[in-house]
Amino acid sequence: MDVPRNFRLLGELEDGEKGIGDGYCSYGLEEQDEVLMYNWTGTIFGPPGTPFDGRIYQLRVYCGDEYPRLPPTLRFITRINLPGVDQQTGVVSPRELECLDKWKSSYSIYTVLRSIFSKMTKRESRLPQPPERTTFPSP
Amino acid sequence: MAGVPKRILKEIERLHNDPAPGIDVTPVNDSIRYFQVVMAGPSQSPYQGGQFKLELFLPEDYPMSPPKVRFMTKMYHPNIDKLGRICLDILKDKWSPALQIRTVLLSIQALLSAPNPDDPLANDVAEQWKANEKRAIQTASEWTKKYAM
Repeated sequence: MDVPRNFRLLGELEDGEKGIGDGYCSYGLEEQDEVLMYNWTGTIFGPPGTPFDGRIYQLRVYCGDEYPRLPPTLRFITRINLPGVDQQTGVVSPRELECLDKWKSSYSIYTVLRSIFSKMTKRESRLPQPPERTTFPSP
Repeated sequence: MAGVPKRILKEIERLHNDPAPGIDVTPVNDSIRYFQVVMAGPSQSPYQGGQFKLELFLPEDYPMSPPKVRFMTKMYHPNIDKLGRICLDILKDKWSPALQIRTVLLSIQALLSAPNPDDPLANDVAEQWKANEKRAIQTASEWTKKYAM
């Protein structure tokens, strides 16, 4: 049975507030009083032993009216050189992240952050990185 | 949808035929589990005159577990947080399958008449409520005018 969008997101918020997984990926609402819960902030700690090690990445996550039938859209705020991330805007290409490309409504904001984290550990992601604490231009 | 529990159908039928005063329950897209609720603020409370929107969802194991309910209208109330989440014992550990959608909504309406700042969900509101009740009630009444009328 499908849980309606808002209750689904309230559940995700609760999981996020309690803390989920090993702590490398976290998320929360951008504004604590946005009743319709469109705008979220995700945080990813760079995986150890990768070019992202020791860096903290922030992303904007947008959950539209059709979430979770349709996936969220994501945009890095912190600059990162990672396959599938537009180098002008920081937008994560849905085609190049498997969980977005083959989205299922059982996936969550956490699923997506975690799959970006796991992409960071791949050999193809061993790329030179922009200076720390630089950001993509805000749209 | 397979096997809609009779219990839910009965509750919906009764809500329709014999609505609780000041509480209007409408299914969202003909769903039997997801409802939009409009609740009148109780008289002699700072919510008087307001029409408050809520959403209510019956999870798969209802009535073994409680309905999920929250306010969509902004509320100034110590037991309701900024996202409309409600701190009410029967929605949590005091839930019993003998309770119904109707009793839940009537309890929420009663909570509007009797805020409980000693068991707060919205801490800043609860502090204001305890420090200066008169002013808190005035703020609640201003929010009612601003967001619920």
